[in-house]
Amino acid sequence: MNISEELIRKITLQAIEELGEKATTENVKQVVSKSLEKLGAEEQTFKTTPEDSGRVILTSFGLNHPGIVSGITAALSEAECDIHDISQKLMGEFYTMIMIIDITNSKKDIKQLQEDLNKVAEKLKVKVYLQHEDVFRYMHRI
Amino acid sequence: MPYEFDEILETIKMTEIEHFDIRTVTMGISLRDCADRNIEVTKQKIYEKILKFAGNHVKIAEEIERKYGISIANKRVSVTPISIPFGSFTADEYIQIAETLDKAALEIGVDYLAGYSALVQKGMTTGELELIKSIPGALANTKTICSSVNVGSTKAGINMDAVLIMSETIKKTAELTADRDSIGCAKLVVFANAVEDNPFVAGAFHGVSEPEVVINVGISGPGVVLEAIKSAGNVSVQELAEVIKKTVFKITRAGELIGRKAAEMNGVEFGIVDISLAPTPAEGDSVGDILKAMGLEDVGAPGTTAALAMLNDSVKKAGLMASSSVGGLSGAFIPVSEDQGMIRAVEKGNLSLEKLEAMTAVCSVGLDMIAIPGKTPAETIAGIIADEAAIGIINDKTTAVRIIPAVGKDVGDSVDYGGLLGKAPIMEVRELSPAAFVRRGGRIPAPTRSLTN
Repeated sequence: MNISEELIRKITLQAIEELGEKATTENVKQVVSKSLEKLGAEEQTFKTTPEDSGRVILTSFGLNHPGIVSGITAALSEAECDIHDISQKLMGEFYTMIMIIDITNSKKDIKQLQEDLNKVAEKLKVKVYLQHEDVFRYMHRI
Repeated sequence: MPYEFDEILETIKMTEIEHFDIRTVTMGISLRDCADRNIEVTKQKIYEKILKFAGNHVKIAEEIERKYGISIANKRVSVTPISIPFGSFTADEYIQIAETLDKAALEIGVDYLAGYSALVQKGMTTGELELIKSIPGALANTKTICSSVNVGSTKAGINMDAVLIMSETIKKTAELTADRDSIGCAKLVVFANAVEDNPFVAGAFHGVSEPEVVINVGISGPGVVLEAIKSAGNVSVQELAEVIKKTVFKITRAGELIGRKAAEMNGVEFGIVDISLAPTPAEGDSVGDILKAMGLEDVGAPGTTAALAMLNDSVKKAGLMASSSVGGLSGAFIPVSEDQGMIRAVEKGNLSLEKLEAMTAVCSVGLDMIAIPGKTPAETIAGIIADEAAIGIINDKTTAVRIIPAVGKDVGDSVDYGGLLGKAPIMEVRELSPAAFVRRGGRIPAPTRSLTN
Protein backbone atom coordinates (compact mmCIF):
# COMPACT_ATOMS: atom_id res chain seq x y z
CA MET A 1 0.00 0.00 0.00
CA ASN A 2 1.17 3.44 -0.87
CA ILE A 3 1.00 5.83 2.08
CA SER A 4 0.34 9.17 0.46
CA GLU A 5 0.54 12.57 2.06
CA GLU A 6 -3.22 12.83 1.67
CA LEU A 7 -3.69 9.74 3.82
CA ILE A 8 -1.38 11.11 6.50
CA ARG A 9 -3.35 14.35 6.50
CA LYS A 10 -6.61 12.42 6.87
CA ILE A 11 -5.25 10.38 9.78
CA THR A 12 -3.98 13.55 11.45
CA LEU A 13 -7.31 15.34 11.10
CA GLN A 14 -9.18 12.35 12.51
CA ALA A 15 -6.74 12.09 15.40
CA ILE A 16 -7.25 15.77 16.22
CA GLU A 17 -11.00 15.37 16.06
CA GLU A 18 -11.01 12.31 18.31
CA LEU A 19 -8.60 13.80 20.83
CA GLY A 20 -10.75 16.93 20.95
CA GLU A 21 -9.55 19.41 23.51
CA LYS A 22 -6.83 17.06 24.73
CA ALA A 23 -5.02 17.37 21.41
CA THR A 24 -1.46 18.67 21.70
CA THR A 25 1.26 18.64 19.07
CA GLU A 26 2.98 15.79 20.90
CA ASN A 27 0.10 13.38 21.31
CA VAL A 28 -1.24 13.95 17.79
CA LYS A 29 2.20 13.10 16.47
CA GLN A 30 2.25 9.95 18.59
CA VAL A 31 -1.16 8.75 17.43
CA VAL A 32 -0.37 9.45 13.78
CA SER A 33 3.00 7.72 13.82
CA LYS A 34 1.43 4.69 15.53
CA SER A 35 -1.26 4.37 12.85
CA LEU A 36 1.37 4.75 10.15
CA GLU A 37 3.50 2.06 11.73
CA LYS A 38 0.50 -0.25 11.68
CA LEU A 39 -0.07 0.45 7.99
CA GLY A 40 3.62 -0.05 7.32
CA ALA A 41 3.60 -3.37 9.14
CA GLU A 42 0.75 -4.65 7.00
CA GLU A 43 2.68 -3.59 3.97
CA GLN A 44 5.82 -5.51 4.93
CA THR A 45 4.30 -8.99 4.62
CA PHE A 46 5.30 -10.05 1.17
CA LYS A 47 3.58 -12.77 -0.69
CA THR A 48 4.90 -16.05 -2.00
CA THR A 49 4.47 -16.78 -5.67
CA PRO A 50 1.38 -18.83 -6.36
CA GLU A 51 2.44 -20.23 -9.74
CA ASP A 52 5.60 -21.83 -8.38
CA SER A 53 5.56 -25.49 -9.24
CA GLY A 54 7.24 -26.47 -5.95
CA ARG A 55 9.58 -28.74 -7.86
CA VAL A 56 13.29 -28.51 -7.33
CA ILE A 57 16.14 -30.24 -9.06
CA LEU A 58 18.85 -31.87 -7.03
CA THR A 59 22.18 -32.50 -8.71
CA SER A 60 24.90 -34.42 -7.00
CA PHE A 61 28.31 -35.53 -8.17
CA GLY A 62 31.66 -36.67 -6.90
CA LEU A 63 33.73 -39.80 -6.37
CA ASN A 64 31.53 -42.88 -6.30
CA HIS A 65 31.25 -44.89 -3.09
CA PRO A 66 28.48 -46.85 -1.36
CA GLY A 67 25.85 -44.97 0.61
CA ILE A 68 25.50 -41.75 -1.41
CA VAL A 69 21.94 -42.31 -2.66
CA SER A 70 20.85 -43.60 0.71
CA GLY A 71 22.42 -40.66 2.55
CA ILE A 72 20.72 -38.10 0.32
CA THR A 73 17.33 -39.81 0.18
CA ALA A 74 17.32 -40.24 3.96
CA ALA A 75 17.60 -36.48 4.36
CA LEU A 76 14.85 -35.94 1.79
CA SER A 77 12.53 -38.46 3.40
CA GLU A 78 13.11 -36.90 6.81
CA ALA A 79 11.98 -33.58 5.31
CA GLU A 80 8.93 -35.26 3.71
CA CYS A 81 9.98 -34.51 0.15
CA ASP A 82 8.48 -36.43 -2.73
CA ILE A 83 10.96 -37.78 -5.30
CA HIS A 84 9.39 -37.53 -8.77
CA ASP A 85 12.28 -38.77 -10.84
CA ILE A 86 15.77 -40.03 -10.28
CA SER A 87 18.56 -40.75 -12.70
CA GLN A 88 22.19 -41.70 -12.26
CA LYS A 89 25.25 -42.11 -14.43
CA LEU A 90 28.67 -43.53 -13.69
CA MET A 91 31.72 -42.36 -15.59
CA GLY A 92 34.73 -44.30 -14.42
CA GLU A 93 34.99 -43.66 -10.72
CA PHE A 94 32.79 -40.55 -10.86
CA TYR A 95 29.07 -40.56 -10.45
CA THR A 96 26.42 -37.96 -11.32
CA MET A 97 22.90 -38.12 -9.97
CA ILE A 98 19.92 -35.93 -10.76
CA MET A 99 16.61 -35.97 -8.92
CA ILE A 100 13.40 -34.07 -9.45
CA ILE A 101 11.79 -33.45 -6.09
CA ASP A 102 8.45 -32.00 -5.08
CA ILE A 103 8.78 -29.95 -1.91
CA THR A 104 5.23 -28.59 -1.85
CA ASN A 105 4.27 -30.73 1.15
CA SER A 106 7.62 -30.62 2.85
CA LYS A 107 7.83 -29.05 6.28
CA LYS A 108 11.04 -27.36 5.17
CA ASP A 109 11.63 -24.66 2.59
CA ILE A 110 14.34 -24.73 -0.07
CA LYS A 111 16.80 -22.84 2.14
CA GLN A 112 16.49 -25.27 5.04
CA LEU A 113 16.74 -28.22 2.67
CA GLN A 114 19.90 -26.78 1.16
CA GLU A 115 21.39 -26.48 4.63
CA ASP A 116 20.46 -30.06 5.48
CA LEU A 117 21.84 -31.42 2.24
CA ASN A 118 25.04 -29.43 2.57
CA LYS A 119 25.68 -31.24 5.83
CA VAL A 120 24.99 -34.61 4.16
CA ALA A 121 27.23 -33.65 1.22
CA GLU A 122 30.05 -32.74 3.54
CA LYS A 123 29.78 -36.06 5.33
CA LEU A 124 29.67 -38.03 2.06
CA LYS A 125 32.42 -35.86 0.51
CA VAL A 126 30.32 -35.12 -2.60
CA LYS A 127 28.68 -32.01 -4.08
CA VAL A 128 24.95 -31.48 -3.82
CA TYR A 129 23.12 -28.58 -5.48
CA LEU A 130 19.45 -27.80 -5.03
CA GLN A 131 17.86 -25.37 -7.47
CA HIS A 132 14.29 -24.49 -8.27
CA GLU A 133 13.00 -26.11 -11.47
CA ASP A 134 12.18 -22.76 -13.09
CA VAL A 135 15.80 -21.94 -13.81
CA PHE A 136 16.12 -25.07 -15.96
CA ARG A 137 12.76 -24.46 -17.60
CA TYR A 138 13.73 -20.90 -18.52
CA MET A 139 17.16 -21.83 -19.83
CA HIS A 140 16.37 -24.98 -21.77
CA ARG A 141 12.71 -24.73 -22.80
CA ILE A 142 11.10 -22.06 -24.96
CA MET B 1 12.69 -36.92 -16.95
CA PRO B 2 11.45 -33.51 -18.25
CA TYR B 3 15.03 -32.28 -18.66
CA GLU B 4 17.95 -34.03 -20.26
CA PHE B 5 20.88 -35.04 -18.10
CA ASP B 6 23.17 -32.83 -20.18
CA GLU B 7 20.90 -29.80 -19.90
CA ILE B 8 20.94 -29.94 -16.14
CA LEU B 9 24.69 -30.43 -16.02
CA GLU B 10 25.18 -27.56 -18.44
CA THR B 11 23.37 -25.18 -16.09
CA ILE B 12 25.33 -26.44 -13.09
CA LYS B 13 28.59 -26.04 -15.01
CA MET B 14 27.65 -22.46 -15.95
CA THR B 15 26.78 -21.38 -12.44
CA GLU B 16 29.42 -23.31 -10.53
CA ILE B 17 32.48 -23.29 -12.79
CA GLU B 18 32.10 -20.66 -15.48
CA HIS B 19 31.18 -17.69 -13.25
CA PHE B 20 27.72 -17.22 -14.69
CA ASP B 21 25.97 -14.88 -12.35
CA ILE B 22 23.54 -12.06 -12.36
CA ARG B 23 25.82 -9.06 -12.28
CA THR B 24 23.28 -6.74 -10.80
CA VAL B 25 19.67 -6.47 -9.73
CA THR B 26 19.01 -2.74 -9.67
CA MET B 27 15.93 -1.13 -8.23
CA GLY B 28 15.09 2.15 -9.92
CA ILE B 29 13.23 4.58 -7.68
CA SER B 30 11.70 7.86 -8.77
CA LEU B 31 12.53 10.74 -6.44
CA ARG B 32 10.44 13.25 -8.32
CA ASP B 33 7.92 13.52 -5.49
CA CYS B 34 10.63 14.22 -2.90
CA ALA B 35 11.31 17.86 -3.75
CA ASP B 36 10.64 20.51 -1.14
CA ARG B 37 11.79 24.11 -0.67
CA ASN B 38 13.36 23.09 2.60
CA ILE B 39 16.54 21.01 2.24
CA GLU B 40 15.95 19.16 5.52
CA VAL B 41 12.44 18.08 4.46
CA THR B 42 13.83 17.04 1.06
CA LYS B 43 16.51 14.90 2.67
CA GLN B 44 14.00 13.24 4.94
CA LYS B 45 11.64 12.51 2.06
CA ILE B 46 14.44 10.98 -0.01
CA TYR B 47 15.65 8.82 2.85
CA GLU B 48 12.18 7.58 3.70
CA LYS B 49 11.26 6.80 0.12
CA ILE B 50 14.38 4.74 -0.52
CA LEU B 51 13.94 2.81 2.70
CA LYS B 52 10.28 2.23 1.99
CA PHE B 53 10.77 0.67 -1.44
CA ALA B 54 14.25 -0.81 -1.24
CA GLY B 55 14.21 -1.86 2.41
CA ASN B 56 13.82 -5.53 1.48
CA HIS B 57 15.69 -5.34 -1.83
CA VAL B 58 18.86 -7.08 -0.62
CA LYS B 59 16.99 -9.65 1.47
CA ILE B 60 14.78 -10.63 -1.47
CA ALA B 61 17.72 -10.85 -3.84
CA GLU B 62 19.51 -13.19 -1.44
CA GLU B 63 16.42 -15.36 -1.20
CA ILE B 64 16.30 -15.62 -5.00
CA GLU B 65 19.99 -16.49 -5.14
CA ARG B 66 19.43 -19.45 -2.87
CA LYS B 67 16.30 -20.61 -4.62
CA TYR B 68 17.73 -20.73 -8.13
CA GLY B 69 21.35 -21.38 -7.28
CA ILE B 70 22.48 -18.40 -9.35
CA SER B 71 24.50 -15.84 -7.50
CA ILE B 72 23.56 -12.18 -7.74
CA ALA B 73 26.83 -10.30 -7.55
CA ASN B 74 25.40 -6.88 -6.76
CA LYS B 75 22.24 -5.37 -5.40
CA ARG B 76 21.90 -1.74 -6.33
CA VAL B 77 19.58 1.23 -6.43
CA SER B 78 19.26 3.91 -9.09
CA VAL B 79 17.35 7.14 -8.63
CA THR B 80 15.99 9.98 -10.76
CA PRO B 81 18.85 12.21 -11.96
CA ILE B 82 19.25 14.34 -8.85
CA SER B 83 19.44 17.60 -10.78
CA ILE B 84 15.90 17.16 -12.11
CA PRO B 85 13.66 17.18 -9.02
CA PHE B 86 16.07 19.20 -6.88
CA GLY B 87 17.06 21.91 -9.33
CA SER B 88 16.67 24.75 -6.82
CA PHE B 89 19.55 23.72 -4.56
CA THR B 90 23.13 24.91 -4.38
CA ALA B 91 26.29 22.81 -4.67
CA ASP B 92 26.63 22.57 -0.87
CA GLU B 93 23.05 21.44 -0.51
CA TYR B 94 23.53 18.86 -3.27
CA ILE B 95 26.40 17.38 -1.28
CA GLN B 96 24.04 17.03 1.67
CA ILE B 97 21.63 15.16 -0.62
CA ALA B 98 24.50 12.88 -1.70
CA GLU B 99 25.26 12.14 1.94
CA THR B 100 21.61 11.36 2.60
CA LEU B 101 21.53 8.98 -0.37
CA ASP B 102 24.71 7.34 0.89
CA LYS B 103 23.22 6.90 4.34
CA ALA B 104 20.11 5.28 2.85
CA ALA B 105 22.20 2.99 0.64
CA LEU B 106 24.31 1.81 3.57
CA GLU B 107 21.19 1.29 5.66
CA ILE B 108 19.54 -1.00 3.09
CA GLY B 109 22.83 -2.77 2.34
CA VAL B 110 23.27 -2.08 -1.39
CA ASP B 111 26.80 -1.65 -2.69
CA TYR B 112 26.13 1.31 -4.98
CA LEU B 113 23.44 3.93 -5.42
CA ALA B 114 23.57 5.66 -8.78
CA GLY B 115 21.78 8.64 -10.24
CA TYR B 116 23.72 11.61 -8.91
CA SER B 117 23.32 12.81 -12.44
CA ALA B 118 22.52 15.57 -14.87
CA LEU B 119 21.43 15.48 -18.51
CA VAL B 120 23.00 18.50 -20.17
CA GLN B 121 23.44 17.51 -23.81
CA LYS B 122 21.76 20.64 -25.07
CA GLY B 123 22.37 23.08 -22.26
CA MET B 124 22.67 23.46 -18.53
CA THR B 125 20.18 24.84 -16.04
CA THR B 126 21.40 26.63 -12.92
CA GLY B 127 20.61 23.54 -10.85
CA GLU B 128 22.50 21.25 -13.22
CA LEU B 129 25.55 23.47 -13.09
CA GLU B 130 25.40 23.45 -9.29
CA LEU B 131 25.10 19.66 -9.27
CA ILE B 132 28.13 19.26 -11.55
CA LYS B 133 30.09 21.63 -9.29
CA SER B 134 29.18 19.45 -6.32
CA ILE B 135 30.26 16.13 -7.90
CA PRO B 136 33.90 16.04 -6.67
CA GLY B 137 32.85 16.80 -3.10
CA ALA B 138 29.92 14.41 -3.23
CA LEU B 139 32.06 11.53 -4.50
CA ALA B 140 34.82 12.24 -1.99
CA ASN B 141 32.40 12.36 0.96
CA THR B 142 30.39 9.24 0.16
CA LYS B 143 31.05 5.54 -0.25
CA THR B 144 28.28 4.26 -2.46
CA ILE B 145 27.21 7.20 -4.61
CA CYS B 146 27.80 7.05 -8.36
CA SER B 147 27.48 10.00 -10.66
CA SER B 148 26.94 10.43 -14.38
CA VAL B 149 26.51 13.36 -16.71
CA ASN B 150 25.18 13.12 -20.25
CA VAL B 151 26.93 15.63 -22.50
CA GLY B 152 25.79 14.57 -25.95
CA SER B 153 23.00 12.92 -27.89
CA THR B 154 22.18 12.16 -31.50
CA LYS B 155 19.22 14.53 -31.25
CA ALA B 156 21.07 17.41 -29.61
CA GLY B 157 24.73 17.14 -30.60
CA ILE B 158 27.60 17.55 -28.14
CA ASN B 159 27.60 20.25 -25.50
CA MET B 160 31.28 21.21 -25.63
CA ASP B 161 30.96 23.57 -22.66
CA ALA B 162 29.77 20.63 -20.59
CA VAL B 163 32.56 18.43 -21.97
CA LEU B 164 35.17 20.88 -20.71
CA ILE B 165 33.46 21.36 -17.36
CA MET B 166 33.27 17.59 -16.94
CA SER B 167 36.96 17.12 -17.72
CA GLU B 168 37.76 19.67 -15.02
CA THR B 169 35.32 17.90 -12.69
CA ILE B 170 37.12 14.60 -13.33
CA LYS B 171 40.47 16.20 -12.51
CA LYS B 172 39.10 17.69 -9.31
CA THR B 173 37.47 14.41 -8.28
CA ALA B 174 40.82 12.67 -8.79
CA GLU B 175 42.53 15.22 -6.58
CA LEU B 176 39.96 15.03 -3.80
CA THR B 177 40.33 11.24 -3.66
CA ALA B 178 44.08 11.20 -4.36
CA ASP B 179 44.75 9.31 -1.12
CA ARG B 180 42.65 6.39 -2.45
CA ASP B 181 44.15 6.09 -5.95
CA SER B 182 41.64 8.73 -7.19
CA ILE B 183 38.78 6.25 -6.70
CA GLY B 184 36.17 9.01 -7.07
CA CYS B 185 36.71 8.92 -10.83
CA ALA B 186 35.76 5.22 -10.91
CA LYS B 187 32.28 6.35 -9.88
CA LEU B 188 31.88 9.13 -12.42
CA VAL B 189 30.74 8.55 -16.00
CA VAL B 190 30.43 11.05 -18.85
CA PHE B 191 27.86 9.83 -21.36
CA ALA B 192 26.59 10.44 -24.83
CA ASN B 193 23.14 8.98 -25.57
CA ALA B 194 22.72 7.75 -21.98
CA VAL B 195 19.89 5.25 -21.50
CA GLU B 196 17.18 5.56 -18.88
CA ASP B 197 16.96 1.95 -17.78
CA ASN B 198 20.60 0.93 -17.49
CA PRO B 199 21.03 -1.29 -14.42
CA PHE B 200 24.83 -1.11 -14.43
CA VAL B 201 26.68 1.38 -12.29
CA ALA B 202 28.34 3.80 -12.34
CA GLY B 203 26.13 5.01 -15.18
CA ALA B 204 22.71 3.93 -13.90
CA PHE B 205 19.92 6.39 -13.30
CA HIS B 206 16.15 6.12 -13.13
CA GLY B 207 14.99 7.99 -16.22
CA VAL B 208 12.12 10.46 -16.20
CA SER B 209 9.93 8.25 -18.37
CA GLU B 210 10.30 5.28 -16.02
CA PRO B 211 7.58 4.17 -13.58
CA GLU B 212 7.59 4.95 -9.85
CA VAL B 213 9.70 1.90 -8.97
CA VAL B 214 11.15 -0.73 -11.27
CA ILE B 215 13.52 -3.70 -11.17
CA ASN B 216 16.16 -3.96 -13.90
CA VAL B 217 18.62 -6.80 -14.23
CA GLY B 218 22.10 -6.98 -15.72
CA ILE B 219 23.55 -10.36 -16.57
CA SER B 220 27.18 -11.32 -16.71
CA GLY B 221 28.45 -14.26 -18.64
CA PRO B 222 31.84 -13.76 -20.32
CA GLY B 223 33.10 -16.94 -18.60
CA VAL B 224 30.26 -19.00 -20.06
CA VAL B 225 30.76 -17.59 -23.57
CA LEU B 226 34.52 -18.15 -23.30
CA GLU B 227 34.07 -21.83 -22.45
CA ALA B 228 31.54 -22.29 -25.27
CA ILE B 229 33.95 -20.76 -27.79
CA LYS B 230 36.84 -22.85 -26.52
CA SER B 231 34.87 -26.07 -26.80
CA ALA B 232 33.59 -25.14 -30.29
CA GLY B 233 37.14 -25.59 -31.57
CA ASN B 234 38.28 -24.49 -35.01
CA VAL B 235 35.00 -23.61 -36.73
CA SER B 236 34.09 -20.83 -39.16
CA VAL B 237 33.08 -17.47 -37.73
CA GLN B 238 29.49 -18.06 -38.78
CA GLU B 239 29.38 -21.22 -36.70
CA LEU B 240 31.08 -19.34 -33.89
CA ALA B 241 28.34 -16.70 -33.99
CA GLU B 242 25.84 -19.54 -33.62
CA VAL B 243 27.66 -20.90 -30.55
CA ILE B 244 27.70 -17.45 -28.92
CA LYS B 245 24.01 -16.92 -29.64
CA LYS B 246 22.96 -20.23 -28.12
CA THR B 247 24.91 -19.55 -24.95
CA VAL B 248 23.74 -15.98 -24.52
CA PHE B 249 20.16 -17.07 -25.15
CA LYS B 250 20.28 -19.32 -22.11
CA ILE B 251 21.84 -16.81 -19.76
CA THR B 252 19.42 -14.11 -20.87
CA ARG B 253 16.51 -16.41 -20.04
CA ALA B 254 17.94 -16.97 -16.58
CA GLY B 255 18.34 -13.20 -16.20
CA GLU B 256 14.73 -12.61 -17.11
CA LEU B 257 13.57 -15.21 -14.59
CA ILE B 258 15.57 -13.60 -11.80
CA GLY B 259 14.34 -10.12 -12.74
CA ARG B 260 10.70 -11.13 -12.88
CA LYS B 261 10.89 -12.94 -9.54
CA ALA B 262 12.68 -10.03 -7.87
CA ALA B 263 10.08 -7.59 -9.18
CA GLU B 264 7.22 -9.83 -8.11
CA MET B 265 8.58 -10.34 -4.61
CA ASN B 266 9.26 -6.63 -4.19
CA GLY B 267 5.76 -5.92 -5.47
CA VAL B 268 7.05 -3.59 -8.19
CA GLU B 269 7.19 -3.55 -11.97
CA PHE B 270 9.77 -5.52 -13.92
CA GLY B 271 11.73 -3.35 -16.34
CA ILE B 272 14.41 -4.84 -18.52
CA VAL B 273 17.20 -7.38 -18.81
CA ASP B 274 20.47 -5.81 -19.86
CA ILE B 275 22.28 -8.55 -21.77
CA SER B 276 25.69 -6.91 -21.67
CA LEU B 277 28.62 -9.26 -21.31
CA ALA B 278 30.01 -7.66 -18.19
CA PRO B 279 33.41 -8.99 -17.14
CA THR B 280 34.66 -9.20 -13.57
CA PRO B 281 38.26 -9.24 -12.37
CA ALA B 282 37.85 -12.99 -11.67
CA GLU B 283 40.15 -15.13 -13.81
CA GLY B 284 38.27 -16.49 -16.85
CA ASP B 285 35.41 -13.99 -16.61
CA SER B 286 36.92 -11.79 -19.28
CA VAL B 287 35.83 -10.32 -22.61
CA GLY B 288 39.53 -9.93 -23.48
CA ASP B 289 39.98 -13.69 -23.12
CA ILE B 290 36.96 -14.27 -25.40
CA LEU B 291 38.63 -12.20 -28.12
CA LYS B 292 41.79 -14.24 -27.69
CA ALA B 293 39.83 -17.49 -27.81
CA MET B 294 38.37 -16.28 -31.11
CA GLY B 295 41.88 -16.39 -32.53
CA LEU B 296 43.66 -13.13 -31.76
CA GLU B 297 47.16 -13.28 -30.33
CA ASP B 298 46.14 -10.61 -27.88
CA VAL B 299 43.57 -7.84 -27.48
CA GLY B 300 44.78 -4.95 -29.61
CA ALA B 301 45.92 -7.07 -32.55
CA PRO B 302 44.58 -6.03 -35.97
CA GLY B 303 41.21 -7.79 -36.22
CA THR B 304 40.23 -6.99 -32.64
CA THR B 305 37.52 -4.55 -33.69
CA ALA B 306 36.02 -7.06 -36.13
CA ALA B 307 36.02 -9.87 -33.59
CA LEU B 308 34.42 -7.62 -30.99
CA ALA B 309 31.81 -6.42 -33.47
CA MET B 310 30.77 -9.98 -34.19
CA LEU B 311 30.69 -10.89 -30.51
CA ASN B 312 28.61 -7.84 -29.67
CA ASP B 313 26.16 -8.46 -32.49
CA SER B 314 25.71 -12.13 -31.61
CA VAL B 315 25.00 -11.18 -28.01
CA LYS B 316 22.26 -8.78 -29.09
CA LYS B 317 20.64 -11.22 -31.50
CA ALA B 318 20.46 -13.95 -28.88
CA GLY B 319 19.19 -11.59 -26.22
CA LEU B 320 16.42 -10.27 -28.45
CA MET B 321 15.14 -13.79 -29.07
CA ALA B 322 15.37 -14.79 -25.43
CA SER B 323 13.48 -11.92 -23.86
CA SER B 324 11.04 -9.29 -25.00
CA SER B 325 12.31 -6.96 -22.31
CA VAL B 326 15.86 -6.41 -23.49
CA GLY B 327 17.07 -2.91 -22.70
CA GLY B 328 19.75 -0.88 -21.02
CA LEU B 329 23.11 -0.98 -22.77
CA SER B 330 23.05 -4.60 -23.95
CA GLY B 331 26.36 -5.26 -25.66
CA ALA B 332 29.82 -6.25 -24.52
CA PHE B 333 31.65 -4.18 -21.93
CA ILE B 334 35.36 -3.60 -22.24
CA PRO B 335 36.35 -1.97 -18.95
CA VAL B 336 40.11 -2.23 -18.62
CA SER B 337 40.51 -2.55 -14.85
CA GLU B 338 37.69 -5.07 -14.42
CA ASP B 339 38.91 -7.57 -17.00
CA GLN B 340 42.06 -9.68 -16.55
CA GLY B 341 42.49 -10.17 -20.30
CA MET B 342 42.38 -6.43 -20.93
CA ILE B 343 44.71 -5.67 -18.01
CA ARG B 344 47.29 -8.10 -19.37
CA ALA B 345 47.03 -6.65 -22.88
CA VAL B 346 47.64 -3.13 -21.55
CA GLU B 347 50.52 -4.25 -19.34
CA LYS B 348 52.22 -5.93 -22.30
CA GLY B 349 51.80 -2.76 -24.34
CA ASN B 350 49.54 -4.52 -26.85
CA LEU B 351 46.48 -2.38 -26.29
CA SER B 352 46.60 1.38 -26.73
CA LEU B 353 44.03 4.03 -25.92
CA GLU B 354 43.47 4.62 -29.65
CA LYS B 355 42.72 0.94 -30.33
CA LEU B 356 40.35 0.89 -27.38
CA GLU B 357 38.58 3.91 -28.83
CA ALA B 358 38.12 2.08 -32.13
CA MET B 359 36.71 -0.90 -30.25
CA THR B 360 34.14 1.27 -28.51
CA ALA B 361 32.63 2.12 -31.87
CA VAL B 362 31.28 -1.42 -32.16
CA CYS B 363 30.31 -2.33 -28.62
CA SER B 364 28.90 -0.91 -25.46
CA VAL B 365 29.85 1.20 -23.79
CA GLY B 366 33.01 3.24 -24.18
CA LEU B 367 36.36 4.06 -22.64
CA ASP B 368 35.63 2.45 -19.33
CA MET B 369 37.80 2.25 -16.21
CA ILE B 370 40.91 3.56 -17.86
CA ALA B 371 43.68 5.01 -15.74
CA ILE B 372 45.85 7.71 -17.28
CA PRO B 373 48.76 9.77 -15.91
CA GLY B 374 47.68 12.27 -13.26
CA LYS B 375 49.47 15.06 -15.08
CA THR B 376 47.18 14.77 -18.14
CA PRO B 377 45.70 18.27 -18.73
CA ALA B 378 41.93 18.76 -18.45
CA GLU B 379 41.81 19.84 -22.10
CA THR B 380 43.24 16.50 -23.21
CA ILE B 381 40.61 14.67 -21.18
CA ALA B 382 38.00 16.93 -22.79
CA GLY B 383 39.35 15.87 -26.20
CA ILE B 384 39.04 12.19 -25.24
CA ILE B 385 35.46 12.74 -24.03
CA ALA B 386 34.54 14.66 -27.20
CA ASP B 387 35.96 11.88 -29.42
CA GLU B 388 33.98 9.24 -27.59
CA ALA B 389 30.80 11.33 -27.62
CA ALA B 390 31.25 11.85 -31.36
CA ILE B 391 31.37 8.08 -31.92
CA GLY B 392 28.17 7.86 -29.91
CA ILE B 393 26.11 10.57 -31.57
CA ILE B 394 27.16 9.73 -35.13
CA ASN B 395 26.46 6.01 -34.70
CA ASP B 396 23.32 6.58 -32.65
CA LYS B 397 24.64 4.50 -29.75
CA THR B 398 25.57 5.00 -26.14
CA THR B 399 29.17 5.82 -25.40
CA ALA B 400 30.78 6.79 -22.15
CA VAL B 401 34.05 7.80 -20.62
CA ARG B 402 35.04 6.66 -17.15
CA ILE B 403 38.61 7.77 -16.94
CA ILE B 404 40.92 8.07 -13.95
CA PRO B 405 43.71 10.65 -14.10
CA ALA B 406 45.49 9.02 -11.15
CA VAL B 407 47.14 11.74 -9.11
CA GLY B 408 50.90 11.25 -8.73
CA LYS B 409 51.03 8.25 -11.06
CA ASP B 410 52.51 7.78 -14.52
CA VAL B 411 52.87 5.13 -17.21
CA GLY B 412 54.30 2.01 -15.58
CA ASP B 413 52.34 2.50 -12.35
CA SER B 414 48.89 1.14 -11.68
CA VAL B 415 45.88 1.84 -9.50
CA ASP B 416 44.36 -1.01 -7.51
CA TYR B 417 40.88 -0.79 -5.99
CA GLY B 418 40.32 -4.47 -5.32
CA GLY B 419 36.86 -6.02 -5.59
CA LEU B 420 34.78 -5.47 -8.70
CA LEU B 421 36.57 -2.26 -9.70
CA GLY B 422 39.81 -4.20 -10.08
CA LYS B 423 43.21 -2.91 -11.05
CA ALA B 424 44.20 -0.59 -13.90
CA PRO B 425 47.67 -0.06 -15.35
CA ILE B 426 48.25 3.60 -16.26
CA MET B 427 47.85 3.98 -20.04
CA GLU B 428 49.81 6.32 -22.21
CA VAL B 429 47.98 9.39 -23.51
CA ARG B 430 49.25 11.30 -26.56
CA GLU B 431 50.62 14.66 -25.56
CA LEU B 432 49.31 16.59 -28.58
CA SER B 433 47.00 19.27 -27.25
CA PRO B 434 43.38 19.82 -28.33
CA ALA B 435 43.16 22.85 -26.00
CA ALA B 436 42.28 25.48 -28.59
CA PHE B 437 39.55 23.27 -30.03
CA VAL B 438 37.87 22.27 -26.77
CA ARG B 439 38.12 25.83 -25.40
CA ARG B 440 36.05 27.19 -28.29
CA GLY B 441 32.94 26.20 -26.35
CA GLY B 442 29.44 25.98 -27.77
CA ARG B 443 27.71 22.90 -29.09
CA ILE B 444 28.63 20.54 -31.91
CA PRO B 445 25.40 20.56 -33.92
CA ALA B 446 23.23 17.45 -34.06
CA PRO B 447 24.21 15.15 -36.96
CA THR B 448 21.98 14.58 -39.99
CA ARG B 449 21.00 11.30 -38.38
CA SER B 450 18.97 13.31 -35.86
CA LEU B 451 16.52 14.32 -38.59
CA THR B 452 14.63 11.06 -38.84
CA ASN B 453 11.09 12.39 -38.80
